[in-house]
Amino acid sequence: MEAPVNSPGRAEFRAPAGRVYDAYLHLLDRQIIDPDGEMIAKVDDVELEISDEGVLYVTALLTGPAALGPRMGGPLGKAMVAIQARLHGTGGPGPGRIPYHLITDIGSAITVSAQPADLTIRGLEDWVRTRIIDAIPGASDAPQ
Amino acid sequence: MRRFFAITLGILTAIGGFVDIGDLVANALVGSRYGFALAWVVPVGVIGICLYAEMCGRVAAASGRAVFDLIRERLGPRWGLGNLTASFLVTALTLAAEIGGVALALELASSVNYLLWIPMVGFLVWLVIWRVRFERMEQVFGLGGLALIVFAVAFWQLGPDWGQLIHNATHPTLEPGEGRATYFYYAIALFGAAMTPYEVFFFSSGGVEEHWSAEDFAVMRSNVFIGFPLGGLLSLAIMGVAALVFFPAGVQVETLGQMALPTALALGKIGLAVALLGIFAATFGAALETGLSAGYTVAQYFGWQWGKFVRPLQAARFHLVILLSLIAGVMLMLTTVDPIKVTEYSIVFSAIALPLTYLPILVIANDPDYMGEKVNGRFANLFGTVYLVLILVVSAAAIPLMIATKAGQ
Repeated sequence: MEAPVNSPGRAEFRAPAGRVYDAYLHLLDRQIIDPDGEMIAKVDDVELEISDEGVLYVTALLTGPAALGPRMGGPLGKAMVAIQARLHGTGGPGPGRIPYHLITDIGSAITVSAQPADLTIRGLEDWVRTRIIDAIPGASDAPQ
Repeated sequence: MRRFFAITLGILTAIGGFVDIGDLVANALVGSRYGFALAWVVPVGVIGICLYAEMCGRVAAASGRAVFDLIRERLGPRWGLGNLTASFLVTALTLAAEIGGVALALELASSVNYLLWIPMVGFLVWLVIWRVRFERMEQVFGLGGLALIVFAVAFWQLGPDWGQLIHNATHPTLEPGEGRATYFYYAIALFGAAMTPYEVFFFSSGGVEEHWSAEDFAVMRSNVFIGFPLGGLLSLAIMGVAALVFFPAGVQVETLGQMALPTALALGKIGLAVALLGIFAATFGAALETGLSAGYTVAQYFGWQWGKFVRPLQAARFHLVILLSLIAGVMLMLTTVDPIKVTEYSIVFSAIALPLTYLPILVIANDPDYMGEKVNGRFANLFGTVYLVLILVVSAAAIPLMIATKAGQ
């Protein structure tokens, strides 16, 4: 999925509101948040589809090491993909996927209309929370 | 009235929070070795940190995003990861140095060996990060750090010859036997101590933690442009007392105890007690800031939930990074490595890593996409560029000078 985005003639596409966004500048590596401002993930890559007229469309935001690894390239990138494939959590192997229609706003962060828990894209966060942080007293208290 | 109180409190906190173990060690060391001949570096460093902290604060308030969050967007994942690795290692090393500093201050107060204090200090730092609200944490240790004003009082009590002092500071000369390379090596260390990268990570993330908006510009600017320079005066006072007491005697400061000694000479036991309190608060506060910054940088690169404005359970990976950094810092200090040496290396490595942090900030502060109307003005860009050149020169010169001078020997 990365090749068209990184190629010299970058894919420009039309967002629902009609404003032209540059996938490279406005989407990639940007923070994704839920409507309450909770931070969900980074846009590690985007999923593209070519329509019958040959126009590229962004169909989903991809997150996690399985999406970032191929963009990173080299042995490190391969290792990221391999580790994710071996140790994936609730979301299963492969990148986490947020369908494009869930995006409600593209600003200094990208807002999506979904709770992180419903997206099942935060396997490591879930694992660290239940196995480590929740075991420490006071983990669910607001700071005083 | 409440607004006035908020501004005053912010400024006082900024003054007290300005100094950390790097500033304490670098200023005392340089004062004892060079007198006032390197005093000019402190204002140069303070202006630099003011300039870039203001940009970061503006970015945080205008876009609601912290610095490292945006560094990856501008540099891409590869360069961003290289930057993250370097910034994280420097911050973690500084964290270890701060833990050592707190333990040394406790040793001076209790005569119990600092190695016994280190695990306890590590635990306390974690506990405060785990439990205490961000604003309260900032205020308590910032105000505690104000006790370092005792160095300014001691300086005044020691009765310097002001005319001679200003002459020495403005016409720096080297003692016979001192090399030019060593002089500039210490200039770089002093500059690195003033502009440590974690300060801007912390400042911008703190802005997001406190939910700054456009209305908070005035408070943020007053903190930066009044609080930081006054904090810089504390640095100069620490350098000054060392220059008055140790420089004429040809003694070089090598321990934290020596660093605090001039306050006892000038003001007696009370002076020393207040100085120890100030050193404790300043280093403990900085340990909190570096510990949090270690978590901020990693979480912001990967897009994880971070911050103390949510319960720890909601930012699990962020808290895990902090916990692991603290454990690593404690373990490093328990190898009995000299905390002062760790500090010296941490500030020189900070100087080397400076462009990684400050170049992207300058770029982002000019991006109307994030900043809207609040992009850099001509003044900020002119001085920002001048400082960027300075930072690049300092960064490039640091390693050759470190090798040539055997780290300042």
